[in-house]
Amino acid sequence: MATITQLENGIVLITLAGELDNHEANQIRTEVSTAIFTGKTRAIIWDLYKLGFMDSAGIGLILGRMRDLAPVNGETLILNPSPTMEKIFQFSGLSAVIRKCTVEEAIDEIGGVVHEK
Amino acid sequence: MKNELTLSFLAIEENEALARMAMTCFITPLDPTLEEISEFKTIVSEAVTNAIIHGYECDGKSLVTIHATIEDRLIKMTVKDEGMGIFDVEQAMEPMFTTKPQMERSGMGFTIMESFADCIRVDSTLGAGTIVTFEKNFSPVTEVSRMR
Repeated sequence: MATITQLENGIVLITLAGELDNHEANQIRTEVSTAIFTGKTRAIIWDLYKLGFMDSAGIGLILGRMRDLAPVNGETLILNPSPTMEKIFQFSGLSAVIRKCTVEEAIDEIGGVVHEK
Repeated sequence: MKNELTLSFLAIEENEALARMAMTCFITPLDPTLEEISEFKTIVSEAVTNAIIHGYECDGKSLVTIHATIEDRLIKMTVKDEGMGIFDVEQAMEPMFTTKPQMERSGMGFTIMESFADCIRVDSTLGAGTIVTFEKNFSPVTEVSRMR
């Protein structure tokens, strides 16, 4: 299950819950994509603290949305993965966008980077 | 302990969760750590998803079969489909390689399986199907966790 919140400054917060496998990714992909293309999204924060399980389908879903944001140089942050999920992100070259922090801290980070530009 | 299981189910995406759940129950008597459970579930999920969406292209009528044994703390498991087979196994196992980028498959399935299992073997014949074999040893239960 994905709870999608449009925050200020074009930041979209996606909180995932339950189990994210191929079946679930196919269920939520359209909803997530629609939210990103509605309004001027320039950053996505994926909060995984409620997510119980994720396999490579989660990597496909997140990489797909990073590609959606590439034309606007959009940013992605992934918050609070479990140790197993963190390994999966590492294998996939996504370590650099993982944070263990609150959503507010992540918003600060994205906001800060944008102000510097 | 010693145990054995055979589980067959239709090639539909909903059964990815069924396979994970059933296999988690099967290993529970070994008293695995949370991380061991989570890694094992991921192996099952990747192998079963491959069989359903690549082997059978979600045809909804063919069967995926898991066979697993537990001997002491070693689990051996095969995930078998009688689907289309893999054209080039070596290439399929390369990180980020996928034949289905349009479905946003990341191509990380085999890399994850290789990392989380102790060993993995892939036997595939074009037009006849694929058998993926794994072994995973679960760590000994410590006295501390026994007392919990």
